[in-house]
Amino acid sequence: MKRRDFLKIGSAGLAGSLLGGAGLLSWTPRASAATIDRSFYVTEGTITQPDGSDVYFRGFSASGTGLNVPGSSLVVQEGDTLRITVINTLDVDTSFVIDGLVDSGPIGPGQTRTVEFTVDQAGSYLYHDGLNAPYNRLLGLHGGLAVMPAGSSNELYPGSPTFVQQYLWLINEVDPVWHADLARRRNPTTAFEPRYFTINGRSMRVPGHPDYANPAVDAGYATDTRLVGSLGDRTLVRILNAGLCIHSVHFHANHVEWLATNGQPRPDVWLKDSLRLPADKGGIDVIYPFEAPPDAWPPVSTGHYPMHFHDEMTQTAGGGLYQFGIATTISFE
Amino acid sequence: MFKIDKAIPMMGMGGGMGGGGMGGGACYVYPDAPATPGLVTPDVTFNRGIYMNGSITMDDGAQIRIWGFTDGGGMGMGMGGPFPSPAIRVREGQIVHTNLTVQGNMWLHTIHHHGIEPSTENDGVGHYSFDVNGTYTYQWKAAHAGTYFYHCHTNTVLHAEMGMYGALIIDPPEGPGTLYSGGPAYDLEVVWAADEIDSSWHTLDWDAGTCGQDVGLHRLNPDYFIITGVDGARSALTAPGVAVNMQVGQRLLVRYICAGYLAQRITFGGLTATVHMSDGRPLPNPVEVTAIDAVSAERYDCIITPTEAGVHDVVIEFFDQITNQVIGTARTRITVE
Repeated sequence: MKRRDFLKIGSAGLAGSLLGGAGLLSWTPRASAATIDRSFYVTEGTITQPDGSDVYFRGFSASGTGLNVPGSSLVVQEGDTLRITVINTLDVDTSFVIDGLVDSGPIGPGQTRTVEFTVDQAGSYLYHDGLNAPYNRLLGLHGGLAVMPAGSSNELYPGSPTFVQQYLWLINEVDPVWHADLARRRNPTTAFEPRYFTINGRSMRVPGHPDYANPAVDAGYATDTRLVGSLGDRTLVRILNAGLCIHSVHFHANHVEWLATNGQPRPDVWLKDSLRLPADKGGIDVIYPFEAPPDAWPPVSTGHYPMHFHDEMTQTAGGGLYQFGIATTISFE
Repeated sequence: MFKIDKAIPMMGMGGGMGGGGMGGGACYVYPDAPATPGLVTPDVTFNRGIYMNGSITMDDGAQIRIWGFTDGGGMGMGMGGPFPSPAIRVREGQIVHTNLTVQGNMWLHTIHHHGIEPSTENDGVGHYSFDVNGTYTYQWKAAHAGTYFYHCHTNTVLHAEMGMYGALIIDPPEGPGTLYSGGPAYDLEVVWAADEIDSSWHTLDWDAGTCGQDVGLHRLNPDYFIITGVDGARSALTAPGVAVNMQVGQRLLVRYICAGYLAQRITFGGLTATVHMSDGRPLPNPVEVTAIDAVSAERYDCIITPTEAGVHDVVIEFFDQITNQVIGTARTRITVE
């Protein structure tokens, strides 16, 4: 691996980004199942953290010269066949795994492999590199798959409470010592000590910081994390945890409807402002209702609020820099 | 509409308390004390000041520095203050004023009423509005009965760990004795705010790390485990206001607040609890439990109705953020006569 080959991603923006220009997961239901083709290039590079450190990552990227962390989200519907082609540009093995659905097995250096599988169950899934677990996954080789109920545009599972827009948040914790070891092709020997905390690959910036409000860098403004809505814009948020820590997800301004944990629909929908995100590939699905904040006096219909994790160590970067972590903005417009 | 983009950050504010040993001063703070939009005459008012020099004594004799809110709005200089901070208790439907007074030349703080969902200005998050410099009146209307808490939201990772939180209870319009209108009645209640303390953090200054210094706030290694401000090693087993003495047939309401950062599990010493609410909202169907798993800032309201005399040690286990292993416990007690 030649360091000069690394893609460096910082305030200049995300090279080779495959966000499709829209943050929301866009979806139009089809009358019948389809075959969906997608290619991922396994690449490596560095991403600049809030304290200025450049940290090594790998990603399921849209091109051989880019680096996407996480990989772009997939949205399909029940019954669809996915044909995923993985092109390994690295000198180490990789794999493409969705637990319970598909496992490519090792894909060697320079190799290309296509896996084909059918999705039958609506819900939110994590795709990841299952090799050398959990290291390859923590390095950034992960992404999200949303499976919609067949023919539905507004449900998590058939008969679930409905929504009008949806997002997918991938959570990760970054130990730069581990990443540096893995960049040198050796496994870590130290205890896991994450110093950066990301949502869809980014940390938050705050007013006064040069990258504040830069959607390529600031998780508070990135279009795939920032929740934007007007009253009534009920928003499904699929939250998947690629990391190793249990987290507390805290929403301001509205309680959310807690629909599912680890893919299992809840027997009752509870209204929560703080929720457990299980560790190690866990996930939750919630609807942020975009109702008028109930305790405002006088009443309001607009405003800016945070969603942040409440295990507050996740709100730091490099041991300080409060609120440069796993947080984004909820914008009532 | 209030625009956060107009907030003026104060970078490198002359470090309160000299910036201490960190030598950095404060960055990314937003000192202000604007007029409250749409200010009206409240139904109830609370005045809160700041103390930064409190302490608690642990069962092993150690003294841990504590920060918090005073009742009455004065400055607790030299006096310390109550820990947890004094409760805010109101009734559903009331318009509430929480007046926070901060000596902004020395430090900055806010009050976020956790689970209360007001306008941006009254949400008390520094980065989204302002850190209080002077006196600000947080105005909000108590929409939903239940158990909440309030805490500082400036350099929150440190300030909440330092103890800057207190209970916030909204009673239904009919008052205490009923959890929520149409919900269960209770005869006595207790607030268990379970928290862990990493004493190595408790020597830091209010602005520690804000300019990018590595002060270790990414990793919490707690050495003490407390229930409602009392050491859960031994003292909380008998401390008045924490340990419960009750009669057979009485209905005990436990307002359990996961006030720390780590995941917790509370078990009720063999008693069965019925969970009726969480996070200030009734459950569609109450659930019977002998244990509850909780993460930071969750609240669970449980009714326990013992049917026979006995002594029940309530155990709260704390799980390390990284290893998910139990790294500490806190205990209190329900004695049924």
